[in-house]
Amino acid sequence: MATNVRERTEADRPLPDERLREVLRLLKLARYFDERMEALYRQGRLPGAIYSGRGQEGTHVGVAYALEPTDSLFPTHRDLTAQLTKGLELKRVMAQYWGRIDGYLRGRDGNSHIGDWYGNRTFAVMSHLPIAYPVACGAALAYQRAGDRRVAMAICGDGATSNGRWHEAINTSAIFRLPVVWVVNNNRFAYSTPNRGEFPIPTIAERGASYGIPGVRVDGGEVLEVYAATKEAVDRARDGGGPTLIESVSLRWRGHAGHDPAKYMPAEMLEDAMANHDPVRNFQEQLLGWGVVSEQDVAKLQGDIEREFDEGYEYALASPFPEPGDVTKGLWVEDGYWTSPPGRGGGTEAG
Amino acid sequence: MSGVAVEAGAAGHGAEPRGKRGDDGQATYLIAIAEALWEEMERDERVFMLGEDIGAYGGAFKVTEGFIERFGPERVLDTPIVEETIVGMAVGAAMEGLRPVAEFQYADFMSSGFDEITTVLSRYHYRAGVPLPVVLRAPSGGGVRASSFHSTNPEPYFAHAGGIKIMCPAFPSDAKGLLKSAIRDDNPSLFLEHKWIYRRIKEQVPTEPDVLVPIGKADVKLEGSDVSVITYGAMVHKALEAAESLAQRGISTEVVDLRTVHPFDEDTVLRSIEKTSRALVLYESFRFLGIGSEVAATIAERAFEHLDAPVMRLAPPNIPVPFSPTLEDAFLPQVADIEAAVERLSTW
Repeated sequence: MATNVRERTEADRPLPDERLREVLRLLKLARYFDERMEALYRQGRLPGAIYSGRGQEGTHVGVAYALEPTDSLFPTHRDLTAQLTKGLELKRVMAQYWGRIDGYLRGRDGNSHIGDWYGNRTFAVMSHLPIAYPVACGAALAYQRAGDRRVAMAICGDGATSNGRWHEAINTSAIFRLPVVWVVNNNRFAYSTPNRGEFPIPTIAERGASYGIPGVRVDGGEVLEVYAATKEAVDRARDGGGPTLIESVSLRWRGHAGHDPAKYMPAEMLEDAMANHDPVRNFQEQLLGWGVVSEQDVAKLQGDIEREFDEGYEYALASPFPEPGDVTKGLWVEDGYWTSPPGRGGGTEAG
Repeated sequence: MSGVAVEAGAAGHGAEPRGKRGDDGQATYLIAIAEALWEEMERDERVFMLGEDIGAYGGAFKVTEGFIERFGPERVLDTPIVEETIVGMAVGAAMEGLRPVAEFQYADFMSSGFDEITTVLSRYHYRAGVPLPVVLRAPSGGGVRASSFHSTNPEPYFAHAGGIKIMCPAFPSDAKGLLKSAIRDDNPSLFLEHKWIYRRIKEQVPTEPDVLVPIGKADVKLEGSDVSVITYGAMVHKALEAAESLAQRGISTEVVDLRTVHPFDEDTVLRSIEKTSRALVLYESFRFLGIGSEVAATIAERAFEHLDAPVMRLAPPNIPVPFSPTLEDAFLPQVADIEAAVERLSTW
């Protein structure tokens, strides 16, 4: 059959249709959330900071979708989409952004410095990247010791690969053959510094060879490519084959944080990424071409996502602030703060 | 390596640390610490150790000698030289239910793991509600001619971080009981082993495996009525030595050993001040913003009406620990310095 539409082969479609639709929902949810939160931030309606993951949804959904619920994820502030993929509820994420008690961290931390260890096995993000890389080694060590075939995954950006801990953690994981997958979200900028100011070799993936582990470079604009490579790495780790380094290349479409206009980014670079490597649009067109979704399905999906966002916004603003008198609680385990229902007396209006 | 049968020796302990006690049954501080580790490893399979050269080599100070033969390389994990990763791994393993005890070769090298300690370990429970039962062990302190990079007292750095309990025991029994408490505690702990004490101080140490010393409780090592010396670590021994000669001059010194420096036992300190009305705070970390600064401030704040003299501090200046004997002795508080300070306070 001579046609432009790609054949429906198993290689192209590593997941059943239902799951392909779920991947599309995650991609579109991430994109919509990112755009709306930026708008609210610019309107002065969102306190704190935002760290856009726009343009990198293929990386985030692709890697996190390869994990099982009992596997753990150690992400960065850029990787909220990966946490949503792992299962975090949008409304509770939004409650965290507005500093409310129903946020995952009870207002103890904000924005995408989020995590849900007991529910979805995601580590609460810290800023000092790649600070979670060594911690992922420890979780993986526990899985290896228990022999329970679980896997830890850590994500950092291209910039964090320059840090000594990146080497320490990967080197150590390779020595002990730990069940861990190291993901580098290469969005080509570390704040304002481009790749050429961060590493002197062509790719980050080739650093895997120096640790004696596979290093794989994938196109972050193609979610299924990311997923397939990650799934292979996760399976290898699960089977005792040790760690893998995955470099997923995309572009950070927005600044480092909401305040950063990213004037250092060449316009043509961004235009090319948006025109040719948009992971959300690419995948949507792929599914339309395959007949996995119809235009109507896509429209309904978009409507559902917008409604979920609006409901999340209402939920967040209706959730009380933390009780000010609880400010010192929870430092020590024995005060019981984290094992009892939190005080909800902080009101819903900011002071 | 694991599963090597331990031959029951005369004391029934074979390769166990307890078999290394002296003929009089006394244990050094070092042996007492090893006993605590051994007994907790036997008691709880979740407990494991990680660090540099702790396996076949037995650790830089030989605290873990013989452990790998008994517990195997999985529970006595030799790591590369990766201090950030040692701490990070301990955190990750604790999040998944293990109870790691990480050894630093020297407390000085904790600065190489500083970020994982102060950013992850100390803050995680407050931020996210996941307990981290991690113990960091590290030989600290000076007076052994080990110079700038093998002599520091880093407890103020980590006390300032917040959510880490910090113990600095001075006696073998306290070391054993406190380390056991730290391993059983669900919070992060920093257990600082003063290397000057390791092989110098020995005493009868409990053999029953469930004898614990509570975290956060000071102990009055010497009762006195004229002046209170509030101290911890190796300085406890200097204070006791000074108290002996002060007694010959008719000055009665009370020596309060904090044992845990964060959180420290305010009540025991204040009770002592109520009795003596005079306080010398003696400590080995830097004078400026040291542990003793906080103790002194607490006394000034909460016991003002009981004081007959200003609260005094005796501690090293904020300079790197020097090497040459004359310089290190000038740097560290000496017995004569303590005597002079107590005498001055007693006649205020």
